[in-house]
Amino acid sequence: MMTLFGSALTWLLLASLLGLLNSLKFHAPGLLASQPYLSYGRVHAAQSASFLYGFAVPAAVGLGLWLLCRLGRTTLAGPTIVFVGAIVWNTAVTLGVAGILCGGSTGYEYFEMPAWCVPILFLAYLMIGLCGLFTFHQRQPERLYPSQWFVVGALFWFPWIFSTAALTLLCMPARGVLQATTAWWYARNFDTVFLGFAGLASAFYFIPKLLGRPLHSHYLAAFAFWTLALFGGFGGMPESAPLPLWIISLSLVGTVLTVVPILAIVLNFYETVRHHLNMLDADHVLRFTYVGLFFWLIASVQQIIGALPSVSGITDFTWFGAAQKELVHYGFFAMTLSGALYYIVPSLLKLPTSAWCPKLLRVHFWFMLLGVLISYLSLLVAGIGQGVLLANTGNSFIEVMLRTMMPLRMSTLGDLLVVVSIAVFLANFAGMVMQSCRQCWLARKEAL
Amino acid sequence: MNADDPKKIDPSGSEPVAESWSVPIWLILIFGLLFYWGQLFLAENAGGFSKDVYGPFHSDDDVANANPQDPEAKMRAEGKRVFDNTCVLCHQATGLGKEGTAPPLAGSEWVQAAKGDRIARIVLNGLTGTINVKGQDYNLTMLAWRDNYNDDQIAAVLTYIRSQWGNKGGPITPDVVKSARAESHPGPETSDELLKIPVQ
Amino acid sequence: MNGGPLLFVGLLATMAFSWTGFILAPQIQLGSMGQTNTVPIGDASPLTYPLAQSGEAHAGAEIYRANGCAACHTEMVCATNLGTDVFRGWGLRRSVAEDYLLQQPVMLGSQRIGPDLANFGRRADTNGIYLRLYDPRLITPKSVMPAYRFLFETHKIGLFPSRDAIVLPDQDAPTAGYEIIPKPQARALAAYLLNLRQDGYLFEAPPPPQPKTNAVSTNAVAAKPAK
Repeated sequence: MMTLFGSALTWLLLASLLGLLNSLKFHAPGLLASQPYLSYGRVHAAQSASFLYGFAVPAAVGLGLWLLCRLGRTTLAGPTIVFVGAIVWNTAVTLGVAGILCGGSTGYEYFEMPAWCVPILFLAYLMIGLCGLFTFHQRQPERLYPSQWFVVGALFWFPWIFSTAALTLLCMPARGVLQATTAWWYARNFDTVFLGFAGLASAFYFIPKLLGRPLHSHYLAAFAFWTLALFGGFGGMPESAPLPLWIISLSLVGTVLTVVPILAIVLNFYETVRHHLNMLDADHVLRFTYVGLFFWLIASVQQIIGALPSVSGITDFTWFGAAQKELVHYGFFAMTLSGALYYIVPSLLKLPTSAWCPKLLRVHFWFMLLGVLISYLSLLVAGIGQGVLLANTGNSFIEVMLRTMMPLRMSTLGDLLVVVSIAVFLANFAGMVMQSCRQCWLARKEAL
Repeated sequence: MNADDPKKIDPSGSEPVAESWSVPIWLILIFGLLFYWGQLFLAENAGGFSKDVYGPFHSDDDVANANPQDPEAKMRAEGKRVFDNTCVLCHQATGLGKEGTAPPLAGSEWVQAAKGDRIARIVLNGLTGTINVKGQDYNLTMLAWRDNYNDDQIAAVLTYIRSQWGNKGGPITPDVVKSARAESHPGPETSDELLKIPVQ
Repeated sequence: MNGGPLLFVGLLATMAFSWTGFILAPQIQLGSMGQTNTVPIGDASPLTYPLAQSGEAHAGAEIYRANGCAACHTEMVCATNLGTDVFRGWGLRRSVAEDYLLQQPVMLGSQRIGPDLANFGRRADTNGIYLRLYDPRLITPKSVMPAYRFLFETHKIGLFPSRDAIVLPDQDAPTAGYEIIPKPQARALAAYLLNLRQDGYLFEAPPPPQPKTNAVSTNAVAAKPAK
């Protein structure tokens, strides 16, 4: 599992670096443009692929496996298979990202991994996922805790949406605009259901555990789980898409109905932490988780607002969507997983949680928080500004672009802060691994 | 992870548990209300789940109406409505008429005359006495419709019958019916009177 | 809620719900769409729509895909009540499913860092495309579009200059005796871009009732005069 996490973090750093590079290109369009390998379009696809498939999936899966072990009071089934699966996955992602930079991207958002990569990824996932299934199966017969449902949900959801997208986009390409429908559906399911479930599983686990209080309501969590499963993936079509009205309306209804799980989750956590807010600053894991959950709330609300026809007429195809993605990926998922890793890694390495370097930890937290905020807010302002200006036909397109340059350039600062925070995290992580190795070596030396 | 019996591991620290507060009723209500809103929204905005309805249109009819309309086709459609409402009872849906009830319209030289002045008067004022249609005499009575239909509707039905059942005749404009209404006297027409009206 | 099997069945059902709504149902309804006829205006006769791309345009689509052009450009025109696309001259009418019938892959894009390209073929010409690919700032001085110089090559002028050699202003022109010509990738991409047009009105996208207003065009600055 450490392989999963270690590699995930490396990919996160790489993805963020690529994102920073692309952001810098707005300051100087000629930056690194002479070679095709680092042109904006390819870097964008590579960044997306390395974040989603290099970081998000392995991190989510690793977290899921760990939670299944913990909550099932059992050990991981088939750890060697998981290890091999992680190696295969990472090799596939490495080759895939390199392939994208060489021009092999599929052209579909969120599904850029080259076609030849997809079966390898699927195979690697199956290896790891089946181990997860067996781990779940060998759990102690107790009442299932919400995190377990979310984990099983996420582990189950990913191969299904991935294979559907692979079949409909790559193997037997659907005709015409149905490709776009599938791609949008996949993106929505990936973000809202897969990442959502994984992050929420972490929140549902760590918040009650570290506060030492029980989760407020099992039934409320179940209600939230099923309504999120139902409506979370039931949408994703932009209002202006070239699709018949019924598809757009159906998507809108599904998106609006995600209000219900949001309310249920917020209520559940509010009741759980209500009288213990003074512990907010006590634990670093909790800080990350709270912030992550807060950003999840903002992002989910933004998703609903952005789907409304009156708003989407202005915000569709602007930086608004990019801001939302930034918030979901970095603000919610990366932060929540960071917090989780700060707990999980010492536990896996059998080190005390104080083994982290606290200075680096603080830098990680604050830089990431500030970075996400700056990035998100400036992209949001750029998006809304772009939309409002474009709605006035008196503004030519290039004028509008120039006027949104300023907030866009500010978002580069945000990207930079995020990159630094991740580098720091990776350094901290490496430090922990080295400590563990040293301990192991010392213990072995003593035994001799 | 040590390689002990998988079912007997109990890691340090307790795992979180969940209490059993029930889902608040207001949340269920909100869910229900939103679901209801969703159904209403889809009824209004899903375009009948038709593949031809794209925003901003709302129904297949909207789309059809927004497409360039053929005014003659519209008139014929309206005329058919009038015919099916009234004329079909005597003149039949086949336009062949019925022995003892009404002469045929299909292939009738009266219907297909170059100008529609005569048939306009027939529809407006009705007909009594003998009339020769397609070589056969019919001695029947037709009711007057000048008080039941306006010029547009009568023009529409005349356009309709002139294009049905193989009839070849151009559309009749409402002006023709209007002048026929003005010039003719109320009271049934007779064949002799009508034959005096020029239709070339 | 306890049982593993119940969990799986439930997850399967909820997953099937969104899958049915957005993958299966649209496939059933739109999957067997075929070519159709345009709605003629006035006395014009209806034309078959859409027409297949030429082979070179198909190759160009691969270049477009490989270079991630869809990261900055969308290829769909919004309806007039949802955007100013039609007023900007980005299309005659909104895009509908029929428009993408014969495209492979369909790269609608999701963000407009650059203008929409759905009808680029209606407002572009080959030389303009080459110039813009070589250095977008020749056409739009403050553009943020990257330059795709790797799609072109500089070589010595042979017996006669190439017909396709791009004409640059003096300060950017190559050294004497050399010319810059588009590589086959650039030609294919240009063919693809010129093929992007959504001409003709359809039943589901009928002609508008009022005349369109002429708003400011996509580029506010005219091209630099080339020698």
